Amino acid sequence: MSIVTKRCGVKFTPPSIVLIYETKETGRVRKRVIPVRNFSQYSDCSRAAERLKHHIRHGPYLEMVPLAQLERLHVVLRDHLRGLSLEQSLAALKGPDPDEEDLNKLGDEELARRKEQMDELFQRNRRRKSDPDFVYDLEVEFPEEDKRETCSWDEDQSDDEF
Amino acid sequence: MAGETNNLPELDQDKYDADEQVKIICLGDSAVGKSKLMERFLMDGYRPQQLSTYALTLYKYTTTVNGKTVLVDFWDTAGQERFQSMHPSYYHKAHACIMVFDIQRKMTYKNLTNWYTELREYRPEIPCLVVANKIDADMKVTQKNFNFAKKQGLPFYFVSAADGTNVVKVFREAIHMALSYKQNSSDFMDEVMKELESFDLKNQEDSDEHEDEETEKLNTA
Repeated sequence: MSIVTKRCGVKFTPPSIVLIYETKETGRVRKRVIPVRNFSQYSDCSRAAERLKHHIRHGPYLEMVPLAQLERLHVVLRDHLRGLSLEQSLAALKGPDPDEEDLNKLGDEELARRKEQMDELFQRNRRRKSDPDFVYDLEVEFPEEDKRETCSWDEDQSDDEF
Repeated sequence: MAGETNNLPELDQDKYDADEQVKIICLGDSAVGKSKLMERFLMDGYRPQQLSTYALTLYKYTTTVNGKTVLVDFWDTAGQERFQSMHPSYYHKAHACIMVFDIQRKMTYKNLTNWYTELREYRPEIPCLVVANKIDADMKVTQKNFNFAKKQGLPFYFVSAADGTNVVKVFREAIHMALSYKQNSSDFMDEVMKELESFDLKNQEDSDEHEDEETEKLNTA
């Protein structure tokens, strides 16, 4: 489908996924409201996201929307059905503060899950050997040390600076 | 320390005494990308050896430095870092160390202090370099200073295992540092060289002897 996805969000009443996209041919920006059916506070969000992604009519429009994002939107929807506020739901989705989280302390499964999340970015930014512009010994010069500013991580021993 | 090798029957660490063998260890928190960096450097050519009993992975690498074949063993942690410290045999006979942190997680930077303290307990003198990984996630960090390396007087590099920035450079640097440490051409030998240079003619005979020894050492390594 020749569309470019602009934004994808969620609406509580009626429960739906809202998609803003541009049609390539006409260049017009359109909105598509996709109702989320058979979904309750007990539903499995990742399954529901997958179902939507492969929906016979809506699926093609969601091609550019990552599955993980669809899953997150369903979690927000589910949290709403459970009586949580939007703020609570988003805070929970964000997870622990990355600056304070000590991954050395996680169990195997949890660590594997966090690594998987990090791998998304890794794969996205990855330069492969098969890429035409691949350079094995890629050297990049960065500003000299004395031309760089002090990193906030060094400012003091306390963690209050954030 | 010598007794520690007995704890790892599959691992003969005596080989690291041979001139052409060097051992380089990786240190840093879980998920900072240590293995990803290894794999990016070695590309398809890597043959990791999993020693799950010891929670470590060995990567063997062969290269040529100044016309000599050098066999490098890279030691990677395979989760051992989660016990907050490494088994002493991990440090045993290491010739250089690559310390890694993740520019997206402050904790991994703060923990460098602990890793460095432990490293120095076992290997007070080996060369060590610090790498800030995952700069592809936020290029702005390359305009910033991370004081830890400077404070400890260690070389520092911005790298990305994903896009490859400076990865090969860092590993080559580590190999060179390991070799020169092994040849003892670092601080101690520099002093010897300086002394030799300042010798006057009446000590010529004496210094010649020293020089011969040294040349030999440098050539075989």
